[in-house]
Amino acid sequence: MVPERASVQIFYEDVEPGDLFPALTVTVDERQLFFFSAATYNGHRIHYDKDWARTVEGYDDVIVQGPLQAALLARAVTDWIGGRGRLVEYAVQNRDIAFAGEELSFGGVVTAKRLGDNTGLVDLDIAGRRGDTVLMPGTATVALPLRGEPHGEPQDEEL
Amino acid sequence: MSEQGLIDAESASRVGTVAATATGEVNRRDWQRWAAAVGDHNPLWFDTEYARARGYRDIICPPLFLQYAVLGVTALDGLRPDGSSGAASGSLAFPRAPRRMAGGESTTFHAPAYHRDEVEMVRTIESIVEKQGRSGRFVLVTWRTVYRNQRAELLADATTSMIARP
Repeated sequence: MVPERASVQIFYEDVEPGDLFPALTVTVDERQLFFFSAATYNGHRIHYDKDWARTVEGYDDVIVQGPLQAALLARAVTDWIGGRGRLVEYAVQNRDIAFAGEELSFGGVVTAKRLGDNTGLVDLDIAGRRGDTVLMPGTATVALPLRGEPHGEPQDEEL
Repeated sequence: MSEQGLIDAESASRVGTVAATATGEVNRRDWQRWAAAVGDHNPLWFDTEYARARGYRDIICPPLFLQYAVLGVTALDGLRPDGSSGAASGSLAFPRAPRRMAGGESTTFHAPAYHRDEVEMVRTIESIVEKQGRSGRFVLVTWRTVYRNQRAELLADATTSMIARP
């Protein structure tokens, strides 16, 4: 699953504008909604009370938390950049809701790269989607290590 | 303008002021429960040896978890009818624009947080402006939120927006 992805380190030199990074596909169920609400101390009924969601707030079902969409999208990014990559900037907008049980995908594309302070900075366009519908568009900047630049950190043994 | 603006004088007077402050301790088990709820098993959040081999002094708090480390405690009696606590916005009411929607959030992460770091959050109301959109007038509120650790090192700063409609 995810741990192998995190064990492969990607470097600044490996990426070019236009590259897609691996999309994460998740179908959030009601257990996951419950645990995410618990972990974020979120009591909003629209995430667990179907009757409230339908009759008071006018949704068809309980809805996936916006912050969970954001966290899944960030997970797609941090899985890809590996343990020596760093999330520097992260910006998302809540555009549409998702219901429990819907298949969602989270991924993005490299839009630009430039050298920073001992690292390479890579800009991404990112999005959470349901089919072709963009639920959460955003942008991110990540710092990736340079090949042959240990900059004080131990080298990866697996490479 | 003959029409009454959506922004009342009381709300307008709060631009530039602090909307909320909070402190909290970053806790490894809390962030790991959050990561598990996201299905995020990144070893940087779980595996000390792995994190040390990548230049950190220990496992680190997932960047997106930092905002939850400063959440306070709300009594059941203090919840809104919809179950939410509503503490974070600094209680801007906009009686002429009561319907709210989360806008977006943009965060720059400067340094990682570690287990038992004491984090202080300061949220300032950056702007409140009335706009005209396709579906009518609305108020756009923007906050700037800064997170620092116990050594006053900047961990993250975020810009958050909210839309309030009549």
